[in-house]
Amino acid sequence: VDDLEGLDESLVSFDIETEPDGSAMVRIGGELDLGSIERLESEVDRLLASAPSRLVVDVGDVRFADSSAIALWVRWATAVPRFELRDSPPLLRRVITAMGLSTKLGVAS
Amino acid sequence: MVSSVDSEPLPAADSRVAEPPVTAGEAPAPRPRVVILGLPLATLVIGLLVTLALVLVSASQYTSNESRLLKLRVRDASELLTGTLPTLQATLASTAELADATNGSVSRFMGFAGRDVGSKGEFASLSLWRLDTPGAPVAVVGIAPKLAASPGQATAFLAKTARDHTLGVIGLLSGPSPRLGYAVVAGRYAAYAEAPLPANRHSKLQGNNAFTGMDYAVYLGSKRSGQLLVSNVAHPPLPSPSASQAISFGDNKLTLVMSSRIPLAGTLPRDLPWIIAILGTLLSVAAALMTMRLTQRRQSAEELAARLEISASENRRLYAEQRTIAQTLQHALLPDVLPQAPGIQASARYEAGERGVEVGGDWYDVVDLEGRRLLLVVGDVSGRGLRAATTMASLRYAIRAYAAQGDLPPEILTKLSHLVSVAETGQLATILCVIVDAGERTLDVTSAGHLPPLLLENGDGSYVYGELGLPIGVEAGSQYASRKVAMPATGTLVAFTDGLVELRGESIDDGLERLRKAAAGDPAALPDLLGRLVSEFPGGRSEDDIAIVGVRWTT
Repeated sequence: VDDLEGLDESLVSFDIETEPDGSAMVRIGGELDLGSIERLESEVDRLLASAPSRLVVDVGDVRFADSSAIALWVRWATAVPRFELRDSPPLLRRVITAMGLSTKLGVAS
Repeated sequence: MVSSVDSEPLPAADSRVAEPPVTAGEAPAPRPRVVILGLPLATLVIGLLVTLALVLVSASQYTSNESRLLKLRVRDASELLTGTLPTLQATLASTAELADATNGSVSRFMGFAGRDVGSKGEFASLSLWRLDTPGAPVAVVGIAPKLAASPGQATAFLAKTARDHTLGVIGLLSGPSPRLGYAVVAGRYAAYAEAPLPANRHSKLQGNNAFTGMDYAVYLGSKRSGQLLVSNVAHPPLPSPSASQAISFGDNKLTLVMSSRIPLAGTLPRDLPWIIAILGTLLSVAAALMTMRLTQRRQSAEELAARLEISASENRRLYAEQRTIAQTLQHALLPDVLPQAPGIQASARYEAGERGVEVGGDWYDVVDLEGRRLLLVVGDVSGRGLRAATTMASLRYAIRAYAAQGDLPPEILTKLSHLVSVAETGQLATILCVIVDAGERTLDVTSAGHLPPLLLENGDGSYVYGELGLPIGVEAGSQYASRKVAMPATGTLVAFTDGLVELRGESIDDGLERLRKAAAGDPAALPDLLGRLVSEFPGGRSEDDIAIVGVRWTT
């Protein structure tokens, strides 16, 4: 189990877990924008380099995400065979829906 | 009718960055290094002066205290010495009176005086003299008196003693073993005794408490320069500090001089000046060092503050410069002049957000199509900086190119979906295309994940939702569909990017509703309306850039 924790300047926290079956879980909390997602992006890129079979991104503690954060998730979604965005708060779900990405990111609109 | 773009003035006029740049020349010059020695040196000097003063005070206190105690000791010792003298006088006096009473009976004298002479008495010699024949003694007990060797001196001495009616002290008679001679006269007879000085000149009294720890010397006469009688030191005079007291000794005097071998008030008062000197010096040096260190720290803090101020003003200047560059670039990438169609007015604004120091990926465009049609475009490339700006520019020109060759928005967007790939560049673009067809009187809305346009008519506002397609960059070859709605006789259509409605902690629906209410029923001219919608953003300025474009038709 690979356990990583990070705390960005702008209070982005994340936690990456990989399971033996090749799936991975990323838990993200805080406020995500272009200036705050750099570390998250580089850490998950390292994870993606190991080609996980499934990626679950738990965004239950995300209070804000701008379009660059959403673009990041879309990129992750295109990089793995199975992708799921879990526990998205209503405000976030609404933004994803407004961008026409609810199907792509597996979010009920 | 031409409607030019109402752009924000270039940010040179922006109040947040308009502070005059501070040049390096205005920065406080570092003060010369020597200045920092002044205060520590002063501290050291003051500390040493205070120490010196304390040392002097404590030393003088010690000296005067010792001197007082020494005087007390001398007085005690003097009283002790004084107490032994009457015995001597009484012995001689009774001897003389006996002789006078017995008319100079030699046998009585010999019998009486025997007790006081020799090893058990205090005299080496006791003799009886007749005043009328003072040249030689009448009788002698013990060894021969030295006085007998000089009849002239004897005559004078006895005559003087007779006149003075007291113990006469002739003083020290020199010789191999010096003796002290004294006499008492009664009537016609004088009793004269000579006592040797102790061989080592130590007094019998020095075992007494009054002499403990003391050096002493007893001189004959009222001065220390007199003949030394007894002392416990090998080589008088006594070292300073010493005290003396004169004691009556018949017609002469004895002078007792004493000094102490140990501090009379204990060792602490003696050592105190040294302790003060050492501690005071150490404290002064420590205080000086500390002062120096504090001074240095203050100086480096001031230097640091000056450097920070320079770098802060440099940052402000760079920020202003970056912002200017970013916005100049932004303006260069956006249309200068919007096309027109009969009865249709177009206007647009671009407002840099709080992070406007980098060029953004938002854009707007209005493309003139054949036959009273305008293509209204607004889009947003995710991210910032040159990468976002170049993607934005390529999308904008690609749309113009595809539109020029007659493609409709759904085809255009599908073609664009091949140009951008989130998997490769991490970029997405949301794009809204609206064909405003004044001839057909329709609005044709196509959206690639973009927020809907706001339609204002008759003081009312509503969003025109089309079929929402994927943002550009998600999938190559995405399909898009347009939705056609009827165009009211008079109306305004406003398209914008999410910076206008996005606020942290708030639903995007709330933002959309706020915008709708703000726009509906505003009779202002289109440029003013767009300006107001941008400037009325909650909190003054959006975090994100805002692109807004509007068309108004009056046919």
